[in-house]
Amino acid sequence: MSASADPYTVLGVARDASQDAIRKAYRALAKKHHPDLNPGNKDAEERFKQISAAYDILGDAEKRARFDRGEIDASGAETPRQNYYRDFAEAGPGGGAQRYESREGFADFAENDDIFAELFGRRAGGGGAHIRMRGADLPFHLHVDFLDAVNGATRRLSLPDGSTLDVAIPAGIRDGQMLRLKGKGRPGIGGGPAGDALIEIEVVPHPVFRRDGDDIRIDLPVSLTEAVLGGRVDVPTPTGTVTMTIPKNSNSGTILRIRGKGVARRDGTRGDEYVTLSIQLPKTPDPELEKFAADWDGGKRYNPREGG
Amino acid sequence: MLEYQEFCLRAELEGSVVEAWVAAGWLIPETTEGPRRFSEADLARARLIRDLHEDLGVNDEGIAIILDLLDQVHGLRRSLRELSEALSALPETTRVRIQEELRARRRPAQV
Repeated sequence: MSASADPYTVLGVARDASQDAIRKAYRALAKKHHPDLNPGNKDAEERFKQISAAYDILGDAEKRARFDRGEIDASGAETPRQNYYRDFAEAGPGGGAQRYESREGFADFAENDDIFAELFGRRAGGGGAHIRMRGADLPFHLHVDFLDAVNGATRRLSLPDGSTLDVAIPAGIRDGQMLRLKGKGRPGIGGGPAGDALIEIEVVPHPVFRRDGDDIRIDLPVSLTEAVLGGRVDVPTPTGTVTMTIPKNSNSGTILRIRGKGVARRDGTRGDEYVTLSIQLPKTPDPELEKFAADWDGGKRYNPREGG
Repeated sequence: MLEYQEFCLRAELEGSVVEAWVAAGWLIPETTEGPRRFSEADLARARLIRDLHEDLGVNDEGIAIILDLLDQVHGLRRSLRELSEALSALPETTRVRIQEELRARRRPAQV
């Protein structure tokens, strides 16, 4: 398409369109195709030139009337090539537009990547613009007791500047998880936002409880009498001791479940606690038990290593 | 370098308008002291502001936002160009690796 295309077609208006409609059509197109609003689009300039030329004729009621009567043609309105701002902005450091440039909006890329720090972390040009950067993140390492991790807790951190920070440890947090406290890191530069405090959680193992997802597992020693006859025993759980009934004739390795005594979940429910029984004979040999076992025919007939 | 008078004339602007634009930070003269001097780039920038204001019907607040975003776009484009130049200086195998990484990241978005 040449610059002398029909101006009505270029602006997409009817031949009897009002001046107001023509102005509106021009503005809509110009907003879209102004070369400075399309820095990398080579076609925008040619397109904008056509739009401007068309509006140069149709935007002026008198010129439009002369065009309609055939006294002037569209080519008469061609304007000489203009230097657009983008041409200077795209030029090298000597282009003169570089002092307007801003890379502040991309400082976040510079934080965790050396290559982008090279690109965005420094200012290539001189000039009056100032650096505005987000503050650095502050890393912390926090030891959390097993039960605090399961039930949730609040811990106080001492910051390098002497102040303290209360950290809410959410119930159910896992070993190695990261807590991010927004804006609690180093202050920003030049009015930039502060960084975050990044707290790596290390959960200290518990001598009795083990974690299995949302469940808790423990080994519970029981006496031979309790295992044979059954009975009620006290069992530790993360939220305190509960009483559990052991069924008659329970074996070592029997797993019993206590509902809702596991790890707190986000929705307020809890996992379960699984109790593995472990039969413990008396520490010193018991003559009465030995005599019973020696006389016990049923015990001699039963071989647990044989099937059935 | 353009003298103040020549700048106003070629930009088709009153001196008071130029002063207001300088005060708003839309234009930054080449000189900080003495008589104001401008570059060809400043002239093109002034024409852009005029286009926005007169032809496109953008108000002052809108112009401030457009210029701010445009300055960011040009900063970003320069950074991207620097990155592209740096990449082109790398060995072919490294460039292919980067291409593969980019492609792998793009794939889910296209589905």
